[in-house]
Amino acid sequence: MELIKDIELLEGLPIIYIKSLKAIVCSDLHLGYEGVMAKRGVYLPKSNLKRIMKMVEEALNKTKATTIIVDGDIKNEFSEVDQDEFNELYDFIQFLKGKHITTVLIKGNHDNFVDKYKAPFNLTIYEQEAKLGKYLFFHGEEQPKETSKAKMLIMGHEHPSIGVYNSVGTKEKIKCFLYGKYDGVPILVLPAMNYFASGTDINLQPESELLSPVFKHVDVDGMRAIAVGYGSTIDFGKISQLRKLAAQGTA
Amino acid sequence: MIRYIETPFSEEESLSVLNKFARSWFTKNFKELTPPQRYSFKLIGQKKSLLVTAPTGSGKTMSGFLSIISRLFDYSIEGKLESKVYCLYISPLRALNNDIQRNLTRPLEEIYAMIKKEKGTDVIKENIKQVTIGVRTGDTTQKERAAMLKHPPNILVTTPESLAILLNSSKFVENMKSIEYVIIDEIHELANNKRGVHLSLSIERLADITEKKFTRIGLGATLYPIEEAAKYLVGYDEGKPNDCTVVDASWSKKFDVLTFSPVKDVIHSSDRRIEELMYKELNRIITKSKTTLIFTNTRSGTERVVFNLKRRFKYGEDIAAHHGSLSRESRLEVEEMLKKGALKCAVTSTSLELGVDIGSVDYVVQLGSPKSVTRAIQRVGRAGHSYNETAKGEVIALNRDDLVECTVMLHSALEHRLDSFVVPQNALDVLAQHIVGMALVKKWDVDEAYELIKRVYAYKDLERGDFMSLINYLAGNYVGLESRRVYGKIWYDEKEKVFGKRGKYTKVIYMLNLGTIPDEVAVNVMMASNKKKWVGNIEEEFLMKLKPGDVFALGGHLYRFEYSRAMKCYVSEANAASPTIPPWFSEQLPLSYELANYIGEFRLGLFNLLEEEMKAGNALKGKMPKAIEKFLDGFPMDENAKAAIYNYFVEQILFTKYIPNRDMLIIEGTNDISSDKYYLIFHSLFGRRVNDTLSRAFAIKMGEAIGEDIGVMVSDNGFMLVFDEKPRIGYERISKIIKDLYTEPLEDMLKSNIRNTELMKRRFRHAAARGFMILRNYKGWKIGVSRQQINSQLILKAVEEMDINFPILKETYREILNDVMDLPRAKEVLERIKKKDLKWDLINTPLPSPFAHNLMTFGHADVIMMKDRRRYLKQLHKMVMKRIDESG
Repeated sequence: MELIKDIELLEGLPIIYIKSLKAIVCSDLHLGYEGVMAKRGVYLPKSNLKRIMKMVEEALNKTKATTIIVDGDIKNEFSEVDQDEFNELYDFIQFLKGKHITTVLIKGNHDNFVDKYKAPFNLTIYEQEAKLGKYLFFHGEEQPKETSKAKMLIMGHEHPSIGVYNSVGTKEKIKCFLYGKYDGVPILVLPAMNYFASGTDINLQPESELLSPVFKHVDVDGMRAIAVGYGSTIDFGKISQLRKLAAQGTA
Repeated sequence: MIRYIETPFSEEESLSVLNKFARSWFTKNFKELTPPQRYSFKLIGQKKSLLVTAPTGSGKTMSGFLSIISRLFDYSIEGKLESKVYCLYISPLRALNNDIQRNLTRPLEEIYAMIKKEKGTDVIKENIKQVTIGVRTGDTTQKERAAMLKHPPNILVTTPESLAILLNSSKFVENMKSIEYVIIDEIHELANNKRGVHLSLSIERLADITEKKFTRIGLGATLYPIEEAAKYLVGYDEGKPNDCTVVDASWSKKFDVLTFSPVKDVIHSSDRRIEELMYKELNRIITKSKTTLIFTNTRSGTERVVFNLKRRFKYGEDIAAHHGSLSRESRLEVEEMLKKGALKCAVTSTSLELGVDIGSVDYVVQLGSPKSVTRAIQRVGRAGHSYNETAKGEVIALNRDDLVECTVMLHSALEHRLDSFVVPQNALDVLAQHIVGMALVKKWDVDEAYELIKRVYAYKDLERGDFMSLINYLAGNYVGLESRRVYGKIWYDEKEKVFGKRGKYTKVIYMLNLGTIPDEVAVNVMMASNKKKWVGNIEEEFLMKLKPGDVFALGGHLYRFEYSRAMKCYVSEANAASPTIPPWFSEQLPLSYELANYIGEFRLGLFNLLEEEMKAGNALKGKMPKAIEKFLDGFPMDENAKAAIYNYFVEQILFTKYIPNRDMLIIEGTNDISSDKYYLIFHSLFGRRVNDTLSRAFAIKMGEAIGEDIGVMVSDNGFMLVFDEKPRIGYERISKIIKDLYTEPLEDMLKSNIRNTELMKRRFRHAAARGFMILRNYKGWKIGVSRQQINSQLILKAVEEMDINFPILKETYREILNDVMDLPRAKEVLERIKKKDLKWDLINTPLPSPFAHNLMTFGHADVIMMKDRRRYLKQLHKMVMKRIDESG
């Protein structure tokens, strides 16, 4: 689905393609998630990295990308990089290298200590935000700074999804992009790549419950939710509409 | 081989196996041997494995212990008694453990005193030691444990969980190699559940390390089939059960019971009148008896009855309540008062059913049906303190289905026809735990471990593939090599086929997380529209029964269930609707399969007689025909109940020409009088667990046929499918669906149906915790139930896509389909239809037939709705009677 002329939302994937940058963009991979959980006594079977590689591969096949921009939280643990994270990070970067893809990383709140790997992995890392081409990339746990000159702001962090009820009344969460305005500048919120992060159901939460301070400058109800799942990408319209439906219990 | 023994040994023969000290202690303290003792003294003296079932008050404990105590004093006199464990006693109740210690301390001391008196200073010279006893449970302090390790008691009293811990304490295990006797008490509380399966694995692990083959003694209340319990006790060897002698002394106690109906006409009497007469009857019983015990089935019912008795008849502290929601202290206080005979009456939900000694009760009242014959016997058996007294009691039933049910139940009890229990088979989650435990002790050859496990009755048919998938899971083979360090609980060498321990934390994880009882907390109910608004609590067990859209009552309001997250349940207001699930539904035990069948038989008997009367042209209304009176007199009930049941059946046969019965499944298509909905009512009398299974299967198939979702309500006496409007479904269509159900794989159909349910999510958490996929306690940190739930849902999501046969997932489905529902018997029912052994027919009624009325009002069956429910019921009844009158 074409968001604007330069940006394509790749069908069925939580990944976008920016033609002018020849880059695919995604966010919130949280590599090493299962390993971290296992150390807390929760033995999640590993599936996150495998799925992420599959999605990235599909995105690369569909586009002419030479670069991948990860908009924050490539790994999971706040503190040091643990062994499991390192292994997954390594596998992921090797996988990209094998495809001759350059990796650009915007640091997120989970990405402390990632600098250690800058040299060995040959990564390009931006601390807070990065203006690449016409776009300002930032993770989203803090307000963006150089917003005025950007054509569009692109962030992650929030793990947006929408809550949908099926005919028997079971609630299901579907990941989505959010598209709206930040103080008049277009803003795109990326869904999480992480398999286990089903996300915040934006249409069922009051605005005050949202994670990112960025939304203080955004009319959330006026944002469009573009859902990704079951192999397709579908525009569900404005959050305000979805809220109404949810209140009637038939969304 | 399992062998029954029915001829008791003589008193001399029985006592001759005891040494003179034990013998003289016994004859000094007891006048005679009780029925179980007449078998057990001799057999245990001969070191035969033995299962004894007997009523409370029949000297069961002594029957198990005395021969052993005698033998241990022999060792002592011979100077052979060492500081080691010779006898292991396991009971599921911690409270009982302390009782046992107290009860055995006296004979041990008195017998030793007799020896000292006779031997004098020789006691010191010959080193004749006291036989010791000690208790080890979760309550035992660190200090006591250390002391026990240094000086192990000769008789060790413990719980299933503590035994599992002891098996993995490398030092203490040395003290257990000398065990010669293992006693499992309250075996009826263990044989039918995972806790018991867990214990039986521990027992076989113990058998693997003891120097001698130990004698196994099982003690318990009545249960059926008793040979299943025997096999559970002694285990298997090369595909065959080990030797066990079965002594069934359960029937030494006589029963005097009946069903009581406060009024002749349950339908037309006012609520107030019925209630008044019920309490009058209770008061009559309490007044004429020394101590009365009343069972109410639910906690709220217990409180209500106590309140009413006090208010109506000015009772004071001589009436007390006892149920699970009360504090431990107040429960103990009530038990103490009962023992002392200080109470006129104790009212309980279910908690006083078994276990702790409660002294002498002379009359037991059961309000409403206890839903199983075995349970009825256990409860009424609480009356009459000793085995040779008669247990007296009555069941008071307030609706017509209950009257039939209770009457048939008591009749079956008098005929010794019990309902059956099943030992859960091949529970993979419990087995996972023990494999970890085994690996911590030593290196195992895979075949050697497999052989050991197959000695446990619950795993005698364990498939090699399932066993290996567990080994692979535990070895962490489902993740990459580099992560096995974290994921793997055992180390496994595929080439050598050997497994053993892995990781320094595994032992800690094992010790802190073993056991089978899931952590549970109350579920908070919140408004979906305003997530901060709390409206009350429900039990998790109740949440498991809910599907989105279900309406239930809480604190006087009605709510519609929307969805749940971890331990929170989100609801919306449901103003106009009526509840689809009564609040006690999770607390109320399901009607058993066997009892349902007996009721079906009763219905068949009465149906045949009624048909004969009709063929002979006799009017049924008015006076009861002689033949029928004679039939009903064969069942234990009072005159009111007899009249009520007779009228119930007459109305049904006049209205529909049929009585649904054991050999005839009636499906009734009908309309409600208060809405436009259409109902297909299945008068299926196979127990609620079978009904639960069948109703889902029918709903799936009907849904496919008409292309929309269908409402389902399940009860003990049938189930119904609810349609918004009358569907195009006739005899042919149903016939096709039934055929599909017995030809297609029912299991797969049901699996996809339960996949997204609350039941699945919650039960998976239990299985994941038992199978160590999530930990309840991690390195000493307790993990909250909420957190466990969220984590287990993440795992479920990943596992489902990875492998549908992943052992823990497979086990969750097995548990739901076999332990919660009853797939095997549902299949049996369908098979009976296929073979035309069970006939079925579709009838159309202008309004629900009398047998459907309780099911129709089922949703209203709730305290606050009681008035509405009865009003509705009366209205239905009036309309049915009008129809009958019109048709002559």
